[in-house]
Amino acid sequence: MANYAQPEVLVETDWVKANLGKPGIKLVEIDVDTKAYDAGHIPGAVGFNWQTQLQDQVRRDIIGQEAFEKLAGGAGISPGDTVILYGDNNNWFAAYGFWLFKIYGHEDVRLMNGGRVKWLNEPDKQMTTEVPKPTPVTYKASAPNSELRALVPQVFEAQKAGKWNLVDVRSPDEYTGKVIAPPGMTETAQRGGHIPGAKSIPWSTAVKPDGSFKSADELRSIYLDQKGVDPNKDTIAYCRIGERSSHTWFVLKYLLGIKNVKNYDGSWTEYGNLIAAPIEK
Amino acid sequence: MNHHTRVYDNVFELLPNEQNPSPLVRINRMNPVPEFALYAKLEWMNPFGSVKDRAAWALLQDLEQRGEIGNGRGIVEPTSGNTGISLAALARARGFHMRAVVPNKVSLEKKVLLKIAGAQLDVVSDELCPAPGLGDGSINIAKTHAKASRDKYAMPNQYENEKNVEAHFHTTGPEIWRQTEGKITHLFVSLGTCGTVSGTSRFLRSKKPDIKVIAVQPTEGHDVPGLRNVTQLGVSKLFDSSLVDDILEVEFRLAYSRAMELCQTEGLLAGPSSGLIYEGAREIILRDKAGYGVMIFPDNIFKYTSNMMKHIPSLASGNQA
Repeated sequence: MANYAQPEVLVETDWVKANLGKPGIKLVEIDVDTKAYDAGHIPGAVGFNWQTQLQDQVRRDIIGQEAFEKLAGGAGISPGDTVILYGDNNNWFAAYGFWLFKIYGHEDVRLMNGGRVKWLNEPDKQMTTEVPKPTPVTYKASAPNSELRALVPQVFEAQKAGKWNLVDVRSPDEYTGKVIAPPGMTETAQRGGHIPGAKSIPWSTAVKPDGSFKSADELRSIYLDQKGVDPNKDTIAYCRIGERSSHTWFVLKYLLGIKNVKNYDGSWTEYGNLIAAPIEK
Repeated sequence: MNHHTRVYDNVFELLPNEQNPSPLVRINRMNPVPEFALYAKLEWMNPFGSVKDRAAWALLQDLEQRGEIGNGRGIVEPTSGNTGISLAALARARGFHMRAVVPNKVSLEKKVLLKIAGAQLDVVSDELCPAPGLGDGSINIAKTHAKASRDKYAMPNQYENEKNVEAHFHTTGPEIWRQTEGKITHLFVSLGTCGTVSGTSRFLRSKKPDIKVIAVQPTEGHDVPGLRNVTQLGVSKLFDSSLVDDILEVEFRLAYSRAMELCQTEGLLAGPSSGLIYEGAREIILRDKAGYGVMIFPDNIFKYTSNMMKHIPSLASGNQA
């Protein structure tokens, strides 16, 4: 991992096993399939539900600062703790959780490389159905860091100026507008296609068959040389609801070290519903 | 047990083997080249209604013999339906509990049947955005139960367990060899866990190395329950490409229209995977002109009325007064 721009944000499954139960290390599982945690999880890990705990339940937004403080504090997490996030689907929502922790200024947050499936398939790794009961603590978050998040006005600006990298991480069929969302998805949009000027780089480009991230050299070669992401430009990643793009946001910002990368969490379910927004197919 | 009078002491004695084979029925009106003898092996005549009875019985017996189940420990298995129905019915009849992890896209009929057969049902949404190496969600959830609740569940794992292949090596293969009196030249199968193709082909090739084995697969993005396109075969460790001569890709909607034709023309109430296999066999018969073919028809149409209505719109209309 030494070649990554910030290797400290990734831990391997063996490291997690060796550090289970150590003070100051907090494990959090966040899955797309919200039932997966109940079926079994890493001993000591708490589970966050992306639908009910990471989203504001009234307006369409990430949870506010107070709700984040309550969530983290309720899970027994202090601002000085090392938070290890992992989940299913190659860490999609774990990466979204990582992004949220960074938005609220948590210093030491890391992803478990390969996510839930890697742990599951390693014979020496245990799982349990026992739900930990952490002692709640008071968590004081920073004000949200708007540098990490793109909202619609910035997306328009970036699109018009043409000076940004716009990275569409959805499947090729979503990018071309052949489908508006993957089959079976309830969140959708009125129109299909992509933001004009966006490059199609599906999120899965970044991972190996075992679910862990490709090497820094491979990632550099794919994103910078083959796909033409300019590391000197500001960058916005988007997908459909902001979780797959969190995964690519993590790759671009922390593994490749691109300075200004924003996750557009409104993504296609916002953009594809806007009146008069420019769309390319 | 008496196969002649068909009187049995329990349902397990009904399970298929060389002495009690599933029927082989000749295709007549739908055979495009009459000189090419074509037979369908009706796996729905097995006691729990599908080809999966064979693997399920072998998997369950293996767990029992190794002392892996009993004393409150039952089984958990990812299944698209048929294996689950066989396993659940067999397990419950032996006194074990069974948890089935099922992809959401499986038909309602199969889900309800699983519950009727005695399985506890976990429905998971699969294929959100498939990535290389990402196992099916249902496989991972089943593995999670087996790992996190070891005292409650053993996982037979039909996708990796060689007993699945052995079941067909010891039953399907010898049955076909005996039923065709060694005349078989072509074997037509579909691909799911690949236990059927690997076990049957291995046995038949041991008797007659030049038998042609043709696997028929639906087009990518298909909607034929239980089947896999080769791009999805990563999940099965039982696929052995050296045992297959041709992999034919068939437009998946033909699975439904051919199934209906088999019902209405041959009187064979074949399900969509059988329809797909028939279409593949038809193409090869037209190519090879002469031979002696056996198609393994995995199950019948009864579980698929909702899928049929989706793909054959005329079935969905005119059903109300």
